[in-house]
Amino acid sequence: MKREVAAEIVDSLKEAGVDFVATLTEANLHDLVMAIGEDTAIHHVPVTREEEGIGICAGAYLGGKKPAMVMMNAGFLLSANALATVCIHPGIPVLMLIGHSGGVGEENAGHATVGALTEPVLQAMHIVYEKVGRFEDIRPTIHDSQMLARSSRRPTAIVLNKQALR
Amino acid sequence: MKRYDCLRAVAPRFGDELVVTNLGAVRHEWQALRPHPGNYHLQNLGLTSSMALGLALALPHRKIVAFDGDGSLLLNLGSLATIANQHPTNLIHIVFDNECYESSRGAPTATAGQADLAAVARGCGFTHVVTAKTLAEFEEGFRRALKSNDLYFILAKVEAGAADVPAAALDSQENKYRFVRYIEQSENLKILTSTLSRASDPHAK
Repeated sequence: MKREVAAEIVDSLKEAGVDFVATLTEANLHDLVMAIGEDTAIHHVPVTREEEGIGICAGAYLGGKKPAMVMMNAGFLLSANALATVCIHPGIPVLMLIGHSGGVGEENAGHATVGALTEPVLQAMHIVYEKVGRFEDIRPTIHDSQMLARSSRRPTAIVLNKQALR
Repeated sequence: MKRYDCLRAVAPRFGDELVVTNLGAVRHEWQALRPHPGNYHLQNLGLTSSMALGLALALPHRKIVAFDGDGSLLLNLGSLATIANQHPTNLIHIVFDNECYESSRGAPTATAGQADLAAVARGCGFTHVVTAKTLAEFEEGFRRALKSNDLYFILAKVEAGAADVPAAALDSQENKYRFVRYIEQSENLKILTSTLSRASDPHAK
């Protein structure tokens, strides 16, 4: 991810009110994770496993924070049970920014299956999501996804494709 | 010592502390002893420590107590590393270690073998770690943790067995709303969004 894309995401998150972000990094997310860590307006919690981050974000929401979770799609798939039991069942929002490896533009054959499963699993879980690649879509999509998460008390997702991640 | 004995011994010490309980009998036992809107009963095995961390970071001036279990923490050992690195000084992480999956008919967990969760916590960077094998040790550990302004991990080695208490009459959704409304009121926060009906605006066109 280019630094200006990372900076746009961080600024958009803050503009949308996000003040607490859990992350699990990956090569494509490195600049974003570092930018979140450097921003003093966001409490950054690097986690060891993505579902842990879902639990931390849910707890932070109950305590009045506006949380988001940054992870790759492999981590989203890992978090399905946490999202179902901790967020969707009681009605707790968390904005998810999900890097889409194995999607369009993928070079690594090893990511293809995870890439193909990402959207069907989001749909099966009834999680409303938007796919973002173009720079100008980042800010309004983060604003609107966060708005829906808060009003619906449900997780929402932004799937960042290779265009955004490169 | 049983888990219920520990809970009963410390319940009178609770004021406005916020509590996250693990999946299983502990939620019913705690709700029977201390019915309070500041109890959050998690319906997930594994994330008790992480929910409690999120709460502790969001409300650094409030004491947060997690009633976790060995089966749960073993699913989320990495949370100990994250908690130690974040170092919330208002969190008391209590693990009732009965060395079995009590709510799932009692098959042994890894702590029935070689695993020592207190050693894991120490290795992750917790500096205040207590292993309690008697009720007196548990009460003393909890008293110190409650008084201190630092992160504590208390491993209570307990016998398996749930107390004969009524089922906590709280659906997850109801529990969430009661907890959030309590936080909103006690912390003067607005967490749940609400919107006016457009029809209620006399100036709307």
